[in-house]
Amino acid sequence: MKQNKKHFYSHIIEIESLSIKIESLNLSEEKKDHLIKLVEHNVHYEIIDSILSELKTEDKKTFLTHLAQDSHDKIWDLLKNKVDNVENKIKEKAKSLIEELEKDIT
Amino acid sequence: MNEDELENNKYRKVSTKWIERHKKLQNRLFDKHRDAIDLVSKKLLAGSVSGLMLLTAPAPLAISAPLDLISIEQVTKQFAKNTSIVSQLGSILSDNATSLDFLQEQEASKVLSNYYGFKVLSELNGIRLNTTYGLIGGEQHLYRYPGDTLISHADNKTDTIMYIGSGIAPGLGAWGYFAPSKNQFTEEDEVREKYYIAAQTFLAPGFNQNVVKYRDFFKFRKMLVVNPNTGQSVVAVIGDAGPALWTGKNFGGSPEVMHFLGYGKGPRKGPVLCFFIDDPENKVPLGPVKDIIKIQIT
Repeated sequence: MKQNKKHFYSHIIEIESLSIKIESLNLSEEKKDHLIKLVEHNVHYEIIDSILSELKTEDKKTFLTHLAQDSHDKIWDLLKNKVDNVENKIKEKAKSLIEELEKDIT
Repeated sequence: MNEDELENNKYRKVSTKWIERHKKLQNRLFDKHRDAIDLVSKKLLAGSVSGLMLLTAPAPLAISAPLDLISIEQVTKQFAKNTSIVSQLGSILSDNATSLDFLQEQEASKVLSNYYGFKVLSELNGIRLNTTYGLIGGEQHLYRYPGDTLISHADNKTDTIMYIGSGIAPGLGAWGYFAPSKNQFTEEDEVREKYYIAAQTFLAPGFNQNVVKYRDFFKFRKMLVVNPNTGQSVVAVIGDAGPALWTGKNFGGSPEVMHFLGYGKGPRKGPVLCFFIDDPENKVPLGPVKDIIKIQIT
């Protein structure tokens, strides 16, 4: 099973545990792939929302522009300057969501 | 219930819950940060297309002025050509109709067949939809093969600007993927997703007694969809089952279908006629019916 797109946060979040649970289900590859996509979509929106909620309007625009251009380095430069403990916040947000989603399939 | 059924039930339950969750997140995101998202979308659309990578996020970001300008320009040109069919249909449809009776259907079928030059029917092989006239609402793009992405739906910059903003549905269409893999994905599959509609196949008379037969019949069935107020028409396939009854809508249209029907902006819904095209030799191409196409069905 593959992860579809590398996001700026991909290297700091952990969805393996959930992927393994989905992989172990007795489902077609198509359905497993669909569930993984839904996980990624939910994680993506949760993280983007949590970041935007920490930024002022001008910074939101800069962040979205960098996001649009897939400029991961610029995104991190901005976030490290504007948001305290941003990596931890992203990790925590993703972790709590993954735990919630894991409960759904257990 | 055996193990497979249990797992499949779980899949349905989990995927439905996660889709709903995603929709709520999406709405929350756009409600909370709409100003910033709108501004950035406009700026990016005025600049390079690479900026539109923003739209590789799994759901739509706002697309505003540039899309509207293009839509209005194209739609206006087409409108002038369609007055004849509008006038003919106007004499058949009553103002407050929510469905057509048998005689109206026969008349509409005759008018559309004569106008377009191919056979247009309300019933085909003894099967009909629950209605031939109703409200259509905008749908999102569909995943076409495993691993498909939203941005790969655009063939060029215009496509990107006009259609990618609608986003991609987290769930698959009623028939699953259009192709089992990217390698097996054909031009026909691509055009089918581009010009697909959702129809309430599950409400078709006789559906419950003939589920397999009806499912196979409706899958990618070719339809003529007409905006009766402007005459704008699209040949599309049934690519999904829906919308749900509670929505008050009868049909759904892909971003491309909605655009070419003239419903690509504003509330993205409006009345349509939706009839089968009897095209056993697959001669009628999918897409907007830009001019009167006289295709001889022998």
